[in-house]
Amino acid sequence: MQQQSVTRGGVRSRLGRYNELGLFAVAIVLFVLFSVGSPYFFKVRNLSNVLGQISMTMIAAVGMSLLMIAGEVDLSVGSLQAVVALPLLVIMNRTGSFWLGVVPALATGLVVGLINGFLVTRMRINSLIVTLGMYYLLRGLVYFLTGKVPISDSSNDPSFFAVGNAKLFGLLPVMAILMIAILALCIYVLGSTTYGRRLYAVGGNAEVARAVGINPERMKFSAFLICSLLSSVSAILLASRLNSANHMAGQGFEFQVIAAVVMGGVSLSGGRGNLTGALFGVLIFGLIQNGMGLMSIDTQYQLVITGGIIVAAVAIDELRHRRA
Amino acid sequence: MNETRALLEVRGISKEFPGVRALAGVDLDVQAGEIHALVGENGAGKSTLIKILAGIYRMDAGAIRFEGAPLELHGAHDSLRMGIKVVFQELALIKGLSVAENVFLESFPLRAGRRIDWKMLRTRTREILSSIGLDIDPAVKVERLTTSQQQMVEIARALSHEAKVVIMDEPTSALTPKEVELLFAVIRRLKEMGKGVLYVSHKLDEVFSLCDRVTVLRDGQHIATRPISETNPNELVTDMVGREITALFPHTHGGRGECVLSVRGLSTREKLKEVSLDVHAGEVVGVFGLLGAGRTELAKAIFGLDGASGGAVSVRGARLRRGTTHSARSGLGLLTEDRKGEGLVLQMSVSQNMTLPSLRDFSTLGWIRSRTELSRSREFVQRLSIRTPSLKHKVEFLSGGNQQKVLLARWLMKRLTVIILDEPTRGIDVGAKAEIHRLIDELAKEGLAVLVMTSEMPELLGVSDRILVMSGGRVTGEFDRNDATQEKILAAAIA
Repeated sequence: MQQQSVTRGGVRSRLGRYNELGLFAVAIVLFVLFSVGSPYFFKVRNLSNVLGQISMTMIAAVGMSLLMIAGEVDLSVGSLQAVVALPLLVIMNRTGSFWLGVVPALATGLVVGLINGFLVTRMRINSLIVTLGMYYLLRGLVYFLTGKVPISDSSNDPSFFAVGNAKLFGLLPVMAILMIAILALCIYVLGSTTYGRRLYAVGGNAEVARAVGINPERMKFSAFLICSLLSSVSAILLASRLNSANHMAGQGFEFQVIAAVVMGGVSLSGGRGNLTGALFGVLIFGLIQNGMGLMSIDTQYQLVITGGIIVAAVAIDELRHRRA
Repeated sequence: MNETRALLEVRGISKEFPGVRALAGVDLDVQAGEIHALVGENGAGKSTLIKILAGIYRMDAGAIRFEGAPLELHGAHDSLRMGIKVVFQELALIKGLSVAENVFLESFPLRAGRRIDWKMLRTRTREILSSIGLDIDPAVKVERLTTSQQQMVEIARALSHEAKVVIMDEPTSALTPKEVELLFAVIRRLKEMGKGVLYVSHKLDEVFSLCDRVTVLRDGQHIATRPISETNPNELVTDMVGREITALFPHTHGGRGECVLSVRGLSTREKLKEVSLDVHAGEVVGVFGLLGAGRTELAKAIFGLDGASGGAVSVRGARLRRGTTHSARSGLGLLTEDRKGEGLVLQMSVSQNMTLPSLRDFSTLGWIRSRTELSRSREFVQRLSIRTPSLKHKVEFLSGGNQQKVLLARWLMKRLTVIILDEPTRGIDVGAKAEIHRLIDELAKEGLAVLVMTSEMPELLGVSDRILVMSGGRVTGEFDRNDATQEKILAAAIA
């Protein structure tokens, strides 16, 4: 009996280690596939664009991973993208300074995180419902405030353009540098600090966490704040790419982020996963979208393929953790 | 008894779980029109036996005959179809549906086109309910009924299937005295209808007022079957405990120190009633109680997991604020009975599970010194001889005994004042049990105050310096190690 359970564990944990290796292999295959499939794929310019693109998603995905590891989820990050751009553009256009616009933009994100966190941890409402409500509410708010007309940049602050579009040595996007910094910090926090360890404990089993003196509500609350804050950072980058505050910005973004993170091995039920996996998930997602675009695959097929990938990712997540 | 026939006959049933022999060749028969009691201490094998009869477990050896014909059970639905209905403590009702829908859940009366015949459903439910003397509206949702009424719905469900044998598992543990009377009336109705009733309980007064015959199990063995009229409570208690305690329990810790845990008038809304106790440094206090006595509730209430409705807990004279965060910081630790649900974080490694409450001790400004963490963990893996392939192995894949030791290590690492152990050896094999018992002794030697909640008599007598007995949420007896006997303890537990 003893022997048997040990062997079983061995196989399982080896599978766990192979997870990232498997994702890496998938990324390589896609890379080769698209390089062959389109002459425009394997070009410095395109690859540098892909890197910028995934950086934007990844910054939000880091926050989402932290939140999902704590056992909750946030569907409002896409709508938040549109909301955050409003104070950014309005203040920036008034003051002529990008950096003065950043402050209210991030503050707006934090307020939304605060509301989500409050409703989930204090009012004890399911996070799926709370953030689904927020998803509609925020989008409606943007429609209302903008009258469905984009607000363009009239500040002419070069920093605004630079954050989303500039490349170091014409190669490395500023967004990527920002992403790597955030990713590195959060890998450290998750893997080597008491905060990270407690986050896993809370998502793994909140009752156990409570019994060892951790306050699960407080941990989850903080994770909501981090998730909204990082989504706001990516919202600022998106606004820079679009050079405006657009009421349509970030539509479907929440699902893209969640799907990528789940594909990377972060469990929907909490307590499992890490950021390296999430990075691979985002990378694969980004490659597929870019590659399919370049191969001029029809939109309807793109949607079907993307949908298939989301379902497959969740199915695989389920199969891997299914108890015997 | 010559006119009765055996409805249900069980011969030589055995069942083994890893490391435990739950049933060893048990015989039992239930006659038509008989209320047959099945008694025994916790762990005697009662639950295993009825789970086999319900089709949930499969027996390793033995035979079941129903109305004289051999009975093969392949799943939980089988026994009900054959005419055996088990009413478990955890009622299997769908709370959002009506009484009538629950009564006919597996076999709705249908009209043409496979549509449910609602009128028939209600009429027949009403018939069944009134046949056992009940007046419950068939249309009302089950969630609005009291526990006692819900139990009746389960019995009615048995009748809707024309079950011939009804097995009741500890049916009175959540009932008021008045509700118990009503239940007894219904059970007597079943008897008049010629059904066979197997009544599982450890409350001897109920057995004597209700049943016709009684079968005693002990340690998975059939001890005796006697007609109620020819026996008495003392004889049954002797049957139930009549075991010699052979296992050796290390008892090397000496004199007790000052009082470090003091509980005064602790009550919870559901269970506990004014519980007071003291535990001294270097002392092991055992708390015994049968199922439903309130042991786990007491452990949780002391630790602050269940909201107490009254009373106070003090550690080293300082009154504890409510909430687990305060308990953990005041040097109080709880080893829960439900290892997987409330003890371990299954996704985490052995080492991570151990260090969870004491992360602060080896981290600087929130950064975990992983080398210290691992070396501390290794130290405890060796000290408690935890068998694991590595420190980073997922705790999920360890055996029950080793998981329990991981949880013990968790609290040992934290340097506690008081540790509460709730059923520390439940579900683990004999070897690991002995090691846990040795550790309990060691903890006391180191000056910890140890409170052990247990339902196992040998463990209780073996490890405790002082024994408290609980029944119905109260402390009903206190014995010193030297003058405690199994009979005295059980008498207090049944009171």
